Amino acid sequence: MSELIRPGYDFHKETHTEPMVINMGPSHPATHGTVRFFLTLDGEIIEQIEVEIGYLHRAFEKECENQFWNGVFPYTDRLDYTAAALNNVGYALAAEKLIGITVPERCQYLRVIAGELARLSGHYTNLGAAALELGALTAFIYFVEARELVWDLIESLCGARLTHNYVRIGGVTADLPEGFAEHAREVFRRNRELWDDFAKLLLKNRIFLDRMRATGGISRQDAIEWGFTGPCLRACGVPYDVRRAQPYLVYGQLDFDIPVGETGDNLDRFLVRLEEINQSIRILEQCLERIPPGPINVDNPEWRQPSKDDIHRDMESMIFHFKNTFEGQKIPAGEVYQAIEGANGELGFYLVSSGAGKPLKCRVRPPCFALTSAMPLMVKGAFLADLIPTFDMINLIGGECDR
Amino acid sequence: MAIGIKKVDSNITLTLWERMYAPEIIRGLYITMRHFTVNLWGLALEALGRRDKRKIMTVYYPEETLTPPPAYRGRPVLVRAENGLEKCVACGLCEVACPPKCIKITGGERENGDRYPLTYELDGGRCIFCGFCEEVCPKDAIVMSAEWRELCEYGRARMVYQKEALLYPQRNLQKRINLIRSRYFGVSRYRGKA
Repeated sequence: MSELIRPGYDFHKETHTEPMVINMGPSHPATHGTVRFFLTLDGEIIEQIEVEIGYLHRAFEKECENQFWNGVFPYTDRLDYTAAALNNVGYALAAEKLIGITVPERCQYLRVIAGELARLSGHYTNLGAAALELGALTAFIYFVEARELVWDLIESLCGARLTHNYVRIGGVTADLPEGFAEHAREVFRRNRELWDDFAKLLLKNRIFLDRMRATGGISRQDAIEWGFTGPCLRACGVPYDVRRAQPYLVYGQLDFDIPVGETGDNLDRFLVRLEEINQSIRILEQCLERIPPGPINVDNPEWRQPSKDDIHRDMESMIFHFKNTFEGQKIPAGEVYQAIEGANGELGFYLVSSGAGKPLKCRVRPPCFALTSAMPLMVKGAFLADLIPTFDMINLIGGECDR
Repeated sequence: MAIGIKKVDSNITLTLWERMYAPEIIRGLYITMRHFTVNLWGLALEALGRRDKRKIMTVYYPEETLTPPPAYRGRPVLVRAENGLEKCVACGLCEVACPPKCIKITGGERENGDRYPLTYELDGGRCIFCGFCEEVCPKDAIVMSAEWRELCEYGRARMVYQKEALLYPQRNLQKRINLIRSRYFGVSRYRGKA
C-alpha cells in the first residue's frame, strides 16, 4: 500500500492500461452478412471503429456486362436476398424506362404484390434476427414462421422460395395461381396473430427497451447528410419514401401510410419496420381486391417472350425468338437511373446501354452501403453491447452492400 | 394522394404493474405456453391419425415430404417422348440463355435427318434453377421438374448429370409442359420487325 501513494506514481502507467484492439467478425454470429469491425475499446466503450466490407463481393456489376438484358434477373435476386423480388422490379423498371415502354396494369399490380411480399419477408427476417441477437429467441421463431408462410405464397406465385426470378423486361413470368387470394388472406390472418405475439413479447420488455432505446441514434440533419434512406431515415422523422415521393407502378392509387419515428434511435427504427409490416399487408389486401383482368406482358414482340404456341406454329415467331435469344434484346443506347423503395431504403439502378444485347454498365445504389458508412458516427463512444442492436437495425445485407 | 404519414409512438412507458416483473413474466409465459400447447396438441393429433387437423409448421422430413406448388422450379430434366427418343433437337438455345453456363451440348444427326443431342451435360453444381432453359426451349424438351430431394452429393464432379440421368418420360412431366405452354399467352405475334 505504501508504494501506491509514493510521489510520482502513475496508476495507468504502472498497470499498463491501454485501449484494447479487437476484431469482431467477419464470422461473428451477430455480424450477419459477413462484415468485420475493427474495434478499439477503452473498457467497454468503443473509442474507434473501422468497418470492413467486401467479404461477399461477387462482381455483380461485372457479371451483368456478360449477361443478356434478361439474364441479369437471376443475379439481381442475389442482391438483397431477403427481399429478392424488389430487386427484380427495380431492374425491370430501369430497363423499361430506357426502352420507353409501360407494362399493362395487371402486370403492375402483380409486381406490387411480389414486391410487397418480398418486403414482408425482408422485414420479418430483420426484426426476427434483431430480437434473436438481443436474446429473444422465441420472438425470432414466431417471425420465422410468418416468413415461412409468406414464402409459401411467393413460391406458389414465382416458383422459388428465395431466388424468385419472377419479373422480366416488359412483364412478369406467371399470373396469379388459382386460389391465391384466399390463400393470401389466410396467411395474413395468421401473420397478424404472430405479429401481435411478437409485439407483446418485446414492446413491454424492460431488457429489450433498455437495449434499444437511445442507442445508435443519429440526428435528422446527419442522417440526410450521410445519405440515409428507408426505415432508418424515417425513424429520424423525415417522411421520405420513394413510393410517396415519386410514385411508380400503381402505388399512387393505393391507400397506405408511411410510418415515421421521431428520435432516430434503434427503438424508432424497430417500430417503423414493425409498422411497415402492417402497411405492406394493407397494400397487398387492396391489390388482391382491385387487380384488374388483362394481359401480364406488353403487347410488343420485341420486349416479350413469344408464347410456346406461337413458337410451335409460327415460323417467323420462331426465327425472331432465336434471334432474340442468341443476340439478346437490343435496348436503345442511353443511360437511365431508376429508384424504388427497397426493404432497406432507396434501391437504385443506373443502367447504360450501348444498343447491344448486353448492358454496358449496371450500377446498383444499395441502401445499406450509406447506412453502414455512418456506423462510426452512431456507435463511437457507446458501449460495445450497443453495437449489436445498431448493426441489426442498419440491416446490412452482404449481397447488396458488397455485390 | 392517399399515401399518408403515420407517427409511431416510441414513448413506451411502463406502468408500476408492468415494472413489477412478475406479472409481465406471467404474461410472457402465457404467450409462449399457448404456442407450446398448440404445438403439443398438433403432435398428439398427428399420432391419432388426424393429420388434416395439425397446426404445426414443422415437417418430419424423411417420413413426410412437402409437395411443391405447380409453379415450383426443381431440377431441370430432359423430356423423353412417347416413342422413347429425346425431344431435344440440340439447337443450343438453352446453352446460350443459361446465365451460369452450366449446359453443354454436342449435336448429332439420325439416319432420317433428325437432329438430336449426342451428349447433353448439365452441371448441377452450377445450375441456379432460374428456369431460363425451360422458358426459351422451342420444343418443350427441357423442363423444370418438381424434383428437389437429395440433389446434394459429396463432390462437384458427381453433380454433373449426363443425358441418361436427365431423361424423364413425358407422361410424368405433362402437367409442367401444359403450365409453361399457358404462359406468355394472349398477346400479338411477330409483326415483321427484326
